[in-house]
Amino acid sequence: MLSGAKPGSGHYEEFLAHPALLMLRAWRECGDFAEFDLGGMRNVLVVGPDALEPVFRAPDEQLSAAEAYQYMVPIFGEGIQFGAPLEIERQQVKMQATALRPDRMKGYARIIAGEVEEWIAGWGDEGERDIHHEFKELVLRTSTHCLLGAEFRNKLSEEFGALLHDLELAVSPASVLDPYGAEEVFARRDRSRARLAELVTAVIQERRRTGETHPDMLQVFMEVEYLDGRKLSDDEIVGMVIWIMFAGFHTSSNTATWTAVELARHPEFAAPVAKEIDSIYDAAQGLSFASLREIPLLERFVLEVLRLHPPLVTLMRRVKSDFRVQDQVIPAGDMIAISPYVTHRNPAYYPDPERFDPTHPLPEHVFAYIPFGGGRRKCVGNAFALLQVKSIFCALLKRYDFELVDAPETYRDVMPSLILQVSEPCRLRYRRRA
Amino acid sequence: MRVRVDLELCQGHALCREEAPEVFDVIERPGAYDQVKLLAEHPPEMLRAKVEAAARHCPNRVIRVEG
Repeated sequence: MLSGAKPGSGHYEEFLAHPALLMLRAWRECGDFAEFDLGGMRNVLVVGPDALEPVFRAPDEQLSAAEAYQYMVPIFGEGIQFGAPLEIERQQVKMQATALRPDRMKGYARIIAGEVEEWIAGWGDEGERDIHHEFKELVLRTSTHCLLGAEFRNKLSEEFGALLHDLELAVSPASVLDPYGAEEVFARRDRSRARLAELVTAVIQERRRTGETHPDMLQVFMEVEYLDGRKLSDDEIVGMVIWIMFAGFHTSSNTATWTAVELARHPEFAAPVAKEIDSIYDAAQGLSFASLREIPLLERFVLEVLRLHPPLVTLMRRVKSDFRVQDQVIPAGDMIAISPYVTHRNPAYYPDPERFDPTHPLPEHVFAYIPFGGGRRKCVGNAFALLQVKSIFCALLKRYDFELVDAPETYRDVMPSLILQVSEPCRLRYRRRA
Repeated sequence: MRVRVDLELCQGHALCREEAPEVFDVIERPGAYDQVKLLAEHPPEMLRAKVEAAARHCPNRVIRVEG
């Protein structure tokens, strides 16, 4: 067991303050199976890729994600994801994957490119911006546009963003223990979710009334069927929309933010990336075409950002029956924690783990690099997320160089919720490239 | 050249079929993720570039090209 447990609460206070740092300390002190205690709940952090492999491959019946993530049910809704039985949840994840399929990706690439070009149009030759604020705005527009269509994006994306923020505030380390507490943050979550449901239901009903179809994800949710031929109810569609926004919005905007910061911090790596973009960008074919192409240096750069700053710091599974892995038996009832943040700092796979180095090849071992999780429950929005970030930086780097405004060490990972963010303010200076 | 796929980790995103339809198909599976179907375990050398692109683009890294 990790040192420093307090009677009754265990390591809970330290977890509240900064879960990633608690787990990093646990691994350094205890190794690949590091036990810590969250108010009486025994957690085992599993780190080495060979130890992680059986965890990622285990069936839900043995290692349950649903039981570990019940605190998301008031956000997504009853009957959705882990608020639904396993066989329903499985079909719903597949519906999410359908909405993100490659044959739909070309349409999304066009939407994203249009939004990025519009957003960047007023930037001028040089300036200074809070880049995190900027990327939240931009990703909110691209996401609402791809998800709910042009009209919704134009009229309602601002309100949608504010409501979503209320939901996000309610996903804290504290909510993991009790998401139904009397705190105002949870009451606000429930009000905001109800308003989100109103907004989305209005779009669904309008589409049903007019019979119009649109090339967005909502359309997929309105058309797909369960195995028994039943369509998603309006309530379920609302849940699917919140779920996919939750999975994609902050993760993508934070990744874009960290990408910009690391570009500004490392001009030696940024210069070749900008050159690469010059070489693949064809003005006649435009941004959406470019973002769908292979852009190896930019892609590797973003993967390095995701290595050091994985947006989801921890993934959890409840052990349903004694789980044997290597020489360990993790007993039923325990929680298994998986931490991309810690796994990506393993010197056996990354010789100088804290150093940002996009020239170092990523490890061959599939489970040594897990920014999107792994196994059966790996994030199905992986390709969409990378498309979005590529599109943003194709447009930006074609025009601008970036510089830090503040001292390099002031740009830090912080964790106001369970999603890793950049400390605020996050100011960058940009200048039109010569 | 020999191609292997780890079916347990495949989520049927079908990017491999976009790159190399001669070698990869994707089959529908009711109630589960769609899944890649390997059409040629030993594809001809002329397809190497396409097969390697398919392996690179797989979001789940389930395709291995050996030899």
